Amino acid sequence: MIFLLAWRNSWRNKARSIVIMLSVAIGIFAGMGVLALYKGMMKSRIRTVIDSEVGHLQIQHPEFKNDYHPSYVLPDGNLLLTRVRSLPEVKIAAPRSIVQGMLVTTTSSAGVQINGVVPELEYATSQLKQKIQTGEGFHPEKKNEILIGKKLADKMKLKPGSKLVLTFSDTTDNLVSAAFRVAGIYQSGNAPLDEFNVYLTMQALNELLLTGDSFHQISILLKNDEMLTKAGAQLQQLNPSLLVESWKELSPETDLMVNTVDQYSYIIMLIILIALAFGILNTMLMSVLERTREIGMMVALGTSKSKIFLLVFTETIFLTIAGTPIGLMLSWLVILYFQKHGLDLSGMGEEMLASFGFGTMIYPSFPGEKLFPILMMVIGTAVFSCLLPVIKALRLNPVEALKR
Amino acid sequence: MPKTVIDAHTISKVYNPDTIPVYAVNNVHLHLEEGEFTALVGPSGSGKTTVLNMIGGLDKPTEGNIYINEVDITKLSQSELINFRLHNIGFVFQSFNLIPVLKAKENAEFIMLLQGVKKKEREARLQQLFKEIGLEDKMDVRPAQLSGGQQQRVAVARALATRPRFILADEPTANLDSVAASKLLDLMEKLNREEYMTFLFSTHDQRVIDRARRVITLVDGRIASDTAAVSTEFPHG
Repeated sequence: MIFLLAWRNSWRNKARSIVIMLSVAIGIFAGMGVLALYKGMMKSRIRTVIDSEVGHLQIQHPEFKNDYHPSYVLPDGNLLLTRVRSLPEVKIAAPRSIVQGMLVTTTSSAGVQINGVVPELEYATSQLKQKIQTGEGFHPEKKNEILIGKKLADKMKLKPGSKLVLTFSDTTDNLVSAAFRVAGIYQSGNAPLDEFNVYLTMQALNELLLTGDSFHQISILLKNDEMLTKAGAQLQQLNPSLLVESWKELSPETDLMVNTVDQYSYIIMLIILIALAFGILNTMLMSVLERTREIGMMVALGTSKSKIFLLVFTETIFLTIAGTPIGLMLSWLVILYFQKHGLDLSGMGEEMLASFGFGTMIYPSFPGEKLFPILMMVIGTAVFSCLLPVIKALRLNPVEALKR
Repeated sequence: MPKTVIDAHTISKVYNPDTIPVYAVNNVHLHLEEGEFTALVGPSGSGKTTVLNMIGGLDKPTEGNIYINEVDITKLSQSELINFRLHNIGFVFQSFNLIPVLKAKENAEFIMLLQGVKKKEREARLQQLFKEIGLEDKMDVRPAQLSGGQQQRVAVARALATRPRFILADEPTANLDSVAASKLLDLMEKLNREEYMTFLFSTHDQRVIDRARRVITLVDGRIASDTAAVSTEFPHG
């Protein structure tokens, strides 16, 4: 009967209840929208990190990351590469030679990371080919070609066909310089990486480094993201002395960003719900004060304080929860649309987004995994909102209340 | 031998006891036995409602004790009083005070649910009660669709639903026309006569006073007259 009474009380002032329910619905819609956008952005960022920056996993010499000395090649690299490719979880594995050096033109210079790659494998691993905006990319018959990022090209005023000189140390610590011609300019959507990474063929770089057919790194793409932990363990077993790292360790800033944004999502939702709580509190307070006499009568007849609490609490829950499915359904429909068609954020500034490693087209994703915590937060809001009205109701003196 | 239902022993209600004391009720003895049909009368401000509130456990006397069925209700805590009222006292208020969102039968059923009465028993009791008040055809109607007299009869059904030891009625006919008031009094008299239900009314209404078998007159918080011989023996005093 308390629930029936609470339900009917919720509809006593239909207009007021509908306004509150719609406020909750719009609040939930807005919150879910922000969460979906964040989730979409983070998914897109993770996808970019895996598909076009570091892959799922990388194997390298444990000392290599300390100073990037070219002598830290992978021991028996080609054998290891064959064994890595034989693992069922591995979709593609690409070798890379890496050295850090200077890129010099006639007018300026910049510090860069020089990546020696096997073009066909790199095109498949980091989608380098698709990122090329101007130029042809590596020509199979030409030797000293280089791909540079757009940001670096703009800074150094380089274009396809321009000449430049790379200077770096070889495995014997001698300085080596060689001239290259720009074969293409790529843009990855991560401006800081575009400014720092240049690509040569592995053969050209290894000749200068004196590393023969050795290389420093194997970049691995898996068949799906869920295989990360299992594949990581298997790769480590192939050679326990090598360093096997997942994208989370290779791009810790991305992992940190994902976790931080996850926490921000809850904070945003909390702020929305706190704002809503005051609206609900006001409505419930009005509802209780309008019914002072009735509540007084109920206490006079023998309704216990716990039942009065339950009544006001249930009414608040009804008001709050009733708007929730509307908000969730609305947000689900809108998110579904944008998940399919994408949300173009180019108006916010392409360069600004690129500097954080984001593309301009975001595909929001419904945060289904956050549904339960959000429902708990909504119930928490209802509890918070009903506290003052409940206290008012419980403090009613039936004699005074009946006089009104 | 009739059983004592209410035994209010030298009760007083004083406001501002530390500054300028105002006696709303002053040293009142009241003794009601089972089956009485009593009217508490007096001018406005004479203390009728205060006496009723104290006997009903809604207000505590500043001095004195009130025994209901041999339980001193002045010694009960707030939560014990709520439970005591639920199981022992039926209330009928001047302005009906039905819950507007509940149907007529649900208003009476609500109090039985608080008592934990089982569904089958509730349904049987509701049928019987609404037959007694003559509103069997209005059981599923909301209070707003009932006349004042019908609403007050539902309020009586609600008061009776808990099978109380007695019914306190505060100005029950004040908002009723003479036909409705007469029907309500007929009903109360019938319940008193047939079920031996004890009634204590506070009233200004001559129609009620005329029907009461005992009339207690309060003036300035004191009993000025009592048409029955009031017992001066207080078994608990």
